[in-house]
Amino acid sequence: MNKIWVVAKKEMKGIIKTRSQMLVGIFFAVWFSVITAVGVKTVEESAVFDQFNNLLFYFVLMLGIFMAYLFSGRVFFNEKREGIIETLLCTPLSLREIWSGKVVGITIPAYLIALLTAALITIIANIFSTSMLLPSPAIVLHVFLVVPAFIAAAAGLLGFGHFLLGMRENQILNTTIFFVIFLALFFTKNVIGGVYVFSWVAIGAMLVVAMLLLALTTYLTRYLNKERIVTTIP
Amino acid sequence: MIEVQNLTKTFNGKTVLKNVSFEVKEGEIFGYLGPNGAGKTTTLRIILGLLNPTSGNAFVMGQNLGLDENEALRNKVGVLLEDDGVYDRLSAYENLDYYAQLYGLSDRIERKRRIRELLDYVGLSDRINDKVGRFSKGMRRKLALARAIVHKPEVLFLDEPSSGLDPEAQIMVRDLILQLSEEMGVTIFLNSHDLDEVQRICTKIAILQSGEIKAHDTVKNLREKMDKPRVEITLSDSKDAEKALNILNSLDFVSVSDCERDDSRITAVIRNEKSSTILSVLMRNGIVVEEIKWVTKSLEDVYLDIVQKGREQNE
Repeated sequence: MNKIWVVAKKEMKGIIKTRSQMLVGIFFAVWFSVITAVGVKTVEESAVFDQFNNLLFYFVLMLGIFMAYLFSGRVFFNEKREGIIETLLCTPLSLREIWSGKVVGITIPAYLIALLTAALITIIANIFSTSMLLPSPAIVLHVFLVVPAFIAAAAGLLGFGHFLLGMRENQILNTTIFFVIFLALFFTKNVIGGVYVFSWVAIGAMLVVAMLLLALTTYLTRYLNKERIVTTIP
Repeated sequence: MIEVQNLTKTFNGKTVLKNVSFEVKEGEIFGYLGPNGAGKTTTLRIILGLLNPTSGNAFVMGQNLGLDENEALRNKVGVLLEDDGVYDRLSAYENLDYYAQLYGLSDRIERKRRIRELLDYVGLSDRINDKVGRFSKGMRRKLALARAIVHKPEVLFLDEPSSGLDPEAQIMVRDLILQLSEEMGVTIFLNSHDLDEVQRICTKIAILQSGEIKAHDTVKNLREKMDKPRVEITLSDSKDAEKALNILNSLDFVSVSDCERDDSRITAVIRNEKSSTILSVLMRNGIVVEEIKWVTKSLEDVYLDIVQKGREQNE
């Protein structure tokens, strides 16, 4: 665990020091929070609470995954493109330890930005609402358990892909994922007018899915090997 | 210390290493030479456990470095590959500190002392807190070298360590390698194109071509094996060169095919201890010799001979 944490700390430091990337992350968090949370003022008083929770449910999760995508490019893809990964593979860490350290290193800052988003949505929605808006207990559980689990699963799967695939395949994958996430983020606006109420059952199901995804990703790392990584370095 | 046995590696049906075998003993500085694409990096990657051999074995201290259960063994190995393995966004200190922690140096004060000592040695102590992204290629290479030895390895693998360095830094690298070998008994595997560097520091070398070992011995032995005794004769008058060449060709102990003429200089391959005979024969025929000396082949000549022969065999 100690060496995994060493890798994680280094990755976090690297992410924080990449100012452009951090600024992009914070910009998206602020921008999407503002344009979506302001929408609560157009909703009828009786539906405001549900819409506010819908927003937190959907948007915090999507933004967290988007951050995981953004950071995994730097942490996994760039390290492979620059060939640094080869040196790292010669250190006394197993491939799974390296992968785990990087996933933790991505998940923590991505989750912090997701939390910032949740806080911003709550503050802005309260500014524009006549009644006091607080997240439901189920949404609190979602934000504190489901979201980090999904972020970790997304970071793990992306990292697995970056390690496994060649540079061209990775570029195609990155572009595809970018468009999918971006479209999903824009789709967030539609939930403002929706009538979904997220129950304990729904949140519980999401948590199970996140755990299954994490387990699947961890299982998939068995199929990673040093030769595959080294021979796909450009 | 390092043992490579009948190593063969095939990529997509193409064999890039064919039955490569060699051994590096403890404390030796082993030079691994060969033209581009000969299979040097593939050999190195197999030894380091980054690639699996198609057949054969590679051992470091009797164990396979690639196996996950041999993580402890990797603590004893230092690696400097073609890529420097340093992070642009981190400072020189942070880079070394990261690797030191990965190699199990847990004591913060000890790490700090070691990092300062190394940065001082490679001449980067005044750039300790600068981001590596601002470093020149040579500075990055120096930092990478410090990174490779931050944990005081027992075996060190160096792939072109002097690449991109100025002459002064090249001497520093050479001195460091010698110091590591002589004072600390570190076994060094050196992948290099710099034949001068190899000749100066390596105790043993192997020359690889088209995936096959063409020569494997000490530098001295290889030179002796490959080198035929040659004399270089410089004449006072270049007009005598043609006549001198004809005389030399008529002597039974001179190899006619190896006689070369370059203006007033003639190089001839002869049987040992016959230079005085040549001199007297030439003088008897009225040719004034300005200088006559034995010439020996450099490692570069030996290397080029081996590579050239290998090419001819392959064709």
